Amino acid sequence: MTFHEMNPTIKFLTVTLLMFGLAFMYNPWTPLAVFIGTLILQILFSNVNWKRWGLFMIPFLFTALGTLWTTLVFGKEAGGEVMFTLFGKDLTVENVMLASTLSLRVLAFTALSLLFTLTTDPKRFVYSLMQQGKLSPKIAYSVFVGFRFFPILKRELMQLYETHALRGVPLESRLDYIRHVPSLIIPLLAGSIRQAERIAFSMEARGFTGEPRATYEVVAITRYDFLLASILIVLFGVSVWIGI
Amino acid sequence: MLKSWKLKEIVLLAILSVVFAVVYLAFVHVGNLWAGLIGPIAYEWIFGIWFIVSIIAAYIIRRPGAAFLSEVLAATIEMMIGNAIGPRIILVGIIQGLGAEAAFAVTGYKRYDLWVLMLAGFGAAATSFAYTYVMGGLVALSPTYVATMFALRATSGMLIAGLGGKILSDLLLRTGALEGYSLARKGRVHG
Repeated sequence: MTFHEMNPTIKFLTVTLLMFGLAFMYNPWTPLAVFIGTLILQILFSNVNWKRWGLFMIPFLFTALGTLWTTLVFGKEAGGEVMFTLFGKDLTVENVMLASTLSLRVLAFTALSLLFTLTTDPKRFVYSLMQQGKLSPKIAYSVFVGFRFFPILKRELMQLYETHALRGVPLESRLDYIRHVPSLIIPLLAGSIRQAERIAFSMEARGFTGEPRATYEVVAITRYDFLLASILIVLFGVSVWIGI
Repeated sequence: MLKSWKLKEIVLLAILSVVFAVVYLAFVHVGNLWAGLIGPIAYEWIFGIWFIVSIIAAYIIRRPGAAFLSEVLAATIEMMIGNAIGPRIILVGIIQGLGAEAAFAVTGYKRYDLWVLMLAGFGAAATSFAYTYVMGGLVALSPTYVATMFALRATSGMLIAGLGGKILSDLLLRTGALEGYSLARKGRVHG
């Protein structure tokens, strides 16, 4: 029983529900408990690359810090005893509690997000959305096309750089490459649009009509899905209780 | 809703979503770096970037749902290629897409002038701001600061997404790649 095997649609709904619930909690202990609890669940029921987890987490530590001091400095006037003064602003216990709530909320959101992102195979997610979420196959398969499109996009970009180089545009450093991105956007998009048309024609030529179709991969719902979803909801319940 | 769509229009929608998902993700990183320094307001003035695919898709394809679907797809693809905002980004995409779509719905999907595109940018800014207000807990901030944030986001939505989206699409039209899509056809009728 791991989060990797969990039905992606159910996982998506549960994680989103928890995040939405967190948005209404205004004490620092609930998001902190959710953050720690999610971390523990991630350790217990998943097998992720923790280095990747850390890399994803780092930018959000910055966001959390930014949120912390913004809320302190630009926060609403709140009554109560003044704890300390920052940039000429008197801060009460209330202010500090609010700021740490919002800051910890960023971290709890990120931990929950990573619980989903790092354990979900995109292809299974789309299959599951089509099979359980009644997503139109037209859209589902267009997403697959889009996903397959990345290598094409990369190749087109490289080709555009080469044509630039042939015309004598200096492309020596990495900075040169970045500097020329704006002048490549239009040709890149135009090329992609032409490709899209060709892909659509070949899909139709192979008999794709957009009707529901039989799939090789069936993403089922098992009782473990409900068990894992319940564990997450219990975690939220306990966190709310801690906050009271 | 999708019955009347041609397959090539849906595939175009998906491809646009992919291209802009990459752009969106790049700007999330730009925004994140900023946000550490100047707080969440860092995102506001570039927020229009994250609405642009709605405007471009609706302007080119001109069908009900184009603005909404493109934004949701871009968000989904963004999540798949590694946005740590994770599943929440899809929710954000749905909310922003609805805001942009509303502008086209109000005009009966008949007008695609600059002001409608800018209205769509404003619509996306408005709905996404409501979301930020709840999820980001903006109720904790002083009303002046919140108003500044909204003014920045709305301006950004109108200029970067509305005006920028139109300029980008018109440049694309000139390359001839859009022959066979509504934008090119409508252009010929009137001009």
